[in-house]
Amino acid sequence: MLQNFMKNVWTPLKPYYTQVYQEIWIGMGVMGYIVYKIRSADKKSKALKGSDSAAPAHRHH
Amino acid sequence: MNENLFAPFITPTIMGITTLPIIMIFPCIILSTPKRWLPNRIQTLQIWLIRQITKQMLSMHNTRGRTWALMLMSLILFIASTNLLGLLPYSFTPTTQLAMNIGMAIPLWLATVIMGFRNKPKVSLAHFLPQGTPTPLIPMLIIIETISLFIQPLALAVRLTANITAGHLLIHLIGSATLALSSISMTVSTITFTILFLLTILELAVAMIQAYVFTLLVSLYLHDNS
Repeated sequence: MLQNFMKNVWTPLKPYYTQVYQEIWIGMGVMGYIVYKIRSADKKSKALKGSDSAAPAHRHH
Repeated sequence: MNENLFAPFITPTIMGITTLPIIMIFPCIILSTPKRWLPNRIQTLQIWLIRQITKQMLSMHNTRGRTWALMLMSLILFIASTNLLGLLPYSFTPTTQLAMNIGMAIPLWLATVIMGFRNKPKVSLAHFLPQGTPTPLIPMLIIIETISLFIQPLALAVRLTANITAGHLLIHLIGSATLALSSISMTVSTITFTILFLLTILELAVAMIQAYVFTLLVSLYLHDNS
């Protein structure tokens, strides 16, 4: 199956993936970094919001 | 009403698993590649259409820019087919999701910018200052050109998202207005139905035009930088 993949996909498209689209891979890397940053910021703000709503509940004994 | 209005834009899930990859790959099924020298009618039609678009769109590029032909053609076919399929009732349009459009716009735009700086750095930097500006205006104009450069990917993505989402919302609203008015006054309902008909024709045009605009702008950025 891998041989079929290599023969049908990789061999005809190898010059594109290795030379022509180099900058697109860099762009995809930058975009992945931006997505990672946004997701981690979202997680942090959600965790902060969760602990904020939990802490006052604990304070009222 | 609010929940109902934006429900078509939620990514469909089957038992918690998102079906988005299947939906995005679906247009590939309607675009088939011929295995014979003389393909059947629909394949001939599709190939003729793709060749016409390729010729028209790549006529302005040089040799280096034409290496992007595959990417640009895939882009316009994907956006046009997903937009048109989204006009069917109860279907989901991936291009209404801002995340997907930013995912298409940022790598392509960044690739054109990096290509420009890598191959022709002086010309790329010279784009920040149009010809014939008076000397006192130069610092401000460079700032403005930099801002306009960085806004390009966001504008590409938001333009596509907003146009398609707004069109779908309008169809939903006017359709429900027609239905609600049909029990109150038939004439007003007929007028609203005519508006809906015209709007659907507009949406068909918008679906294809947005695909064209997106690809054209990417190819324009490519032309500047290749």
